[in-house]
Amino acid sequence: MGSSVFVGIQRILVAFDASPHAEHAVDVALSMAADMKAKLFIVSVIRPPEPAESAEFNAVLEDGRERYERCFAPIRERARQKEIELETDIVLGHPAEQIIHKAETIQASIIVMGKRSHTLLHRWMLGSNTERVLKYAHCPVMIVH
Amino acid sequence: MTNTWALSALWVGLALAATLLAIWFKISTALSEIVVGTVAQLVIGLFLAQGGLLGNTQWISFLAGTGAIVLTFLAGAELDPAIFRTKWREALVIGLAGFFGPFLGCTAIAHYLLHWSIMSSWLCGVALSTTSVAVVYAVMLELGFNVTEYGKSILAACFINDLGTVIALGLIFSPFTIKTLIFVVVSVVVFAVLPFITPWFFRKYGGRVSEIEAKYILFLLFAMGGLAVWAGSEAVLPAYLIGMVLAGTVGKDHTLIRRLRTLTFGLLTPFYFIRAGSFVSVPALIAAPATMLILFLAKSLTKAIAVYPAVRVHRYEGDSGTYYTLMMSTGLTFGTISALFGLNHQIITQAQYSYLVGTVIASAVIPTVIANSFFLPRHLLPQALASRKPEPAVQRPMAAEEV
Repeated sequence: MGSSVFVGIQRILVAFDASPHAEHAVDVALSMAADMKAKLFIVSVIRPPEPAESAEFNAVLEDGRERYERCFAPIRERARQKEIELETDIVLGHPAEQIIHKAETIQASIIVMGKRSHTLLHRWMLGSNTERVLKYAHCPVMIVH
Repeated sequence: MTNTWALSALWVGLALAATLLAIWFKISTALSEIVVGTVAQLVIGLFLAQGGLLGNTQWISFLAGTGAIVLTFLAGAELDPAIFRTKWREALVIGLAGFFGPFLGCTAIAHYLLHWSIMSSWLCGVALSTTSVAVVYAVMLELGFNVTEYGKSILAACFINDLGTVIALGLIFSPFTIKTLIFVVVSVVVFAVLPFITPWFFRKYGGRVSEIEAKYILFLLFAMGGLAVWAGSEAVLPAYLIGMVLAGTVGKDHTLIRRLRTLTFGLLTPFYFIRAGSFVSVPALIAAPATMLILFLAKSLTKAIAVYPAVRVHRYEGDSGTYYTLMMSTGLTFGTISALFGLNHQIITQAQYSYLVGTVIASAVIPTVIANSFFLPRHLLPQALASRKPEPAVQRPMAAEEV
């Protein structure tokens, strides 16, 4: 991939869900950010169970925050070594909606996401976050396989 | 004699299956367990063994009852006393409206339209008067309202709403005797001294491997629950109140709350929710689906009619007011607790229980299904964008403490 394709990219948003695909997306985004001297944003979304029930909801929230903070620590270190400006955020809600909202808020030049494979039933019941982000995002979306 | 370990394996196996379904479909474990309980009872009862899941076995009833009590305690312990102190007036108005609207409205509809007996109708009113603090809180976190004054008052209102439900459940169906008086007096004394004794006790003896804090909480819940039942009331009433009075002390002890959650989700609530689901009669639901529809509409409309004006009176304008009103129409835990109380005490029949639990589930599921089926990123809608406040979606370190 040549850098010329990505001329003008200043803000890269990575949607991170702690999966191996998302880890790979972070790798790619870190390389891109280093090449293009772009600022890197990572957003992780905690999806509450529906309908939320008090004790379970709070447990999911706390667990999600701790898990993502643990994941962010080594990424921050890698970004520091590459002298990349990095900002992380943990939000709650529907993943696609929150990723799109974050991209607009920071005026992202590109969104980088890992590709997750779902079963047909899962896609039918819940839809694919990737498809939704592709459909509604204001900026280019890169899907990392 | 029933093989206890085989029965345990069956129930825990169902809990495991329910949890997997909850993970796959991103639904709450409680909802999944209720549905699994209903289906398992139907299938096992029809094809494998008479009596199905044997939900009335004594040890299952005990574990399920303990699950309901601890879950109610945890719900009460999530109250933020600071919010309550500053926003109590608004919270009281909106919370009482949220309780009395559906409580009286659904009671009337059950009695006059569905021709339920007066006691069954009261029970119906109680079961459908609930709200879900968690659902409202989740939406607020998503939209960033959790840090606004309005958001805080709505959360406090949800606690008042559920407090109304729990008090109604605990007092309406119990005969007022000298026992009731003793229960009330002892409760007042216990609730008054607990916020002082508990922190002192934990400081002096807590932090050991023997988990004395958990034993202390369980002792309190069982003792006050026992007193409540002796007085003809319901054990979840003192559990919720103990949670509320200890919210400022025990509720902030994250380690203890986590241990209680492990105990609750790992062992107790699966028995409670699967058991609650196992008593739902699918044939009854199929025979009279209109009853459930009427109750669902009754709950949604009475809640909206009562809450919306109360919200507007407190100067909250725009679409979000409507949205929160709808959000306040959910309430899985207290709804099923109330319905199960009615069934256990023969206040309602199994068919009526099935309609109530079906309605409680429908009121929790239907908005979710609609949102998932016709999804549009909410913030892209101009109206929603206009009514959105400028706060960030989640105040990261703070929100964890606010929960």
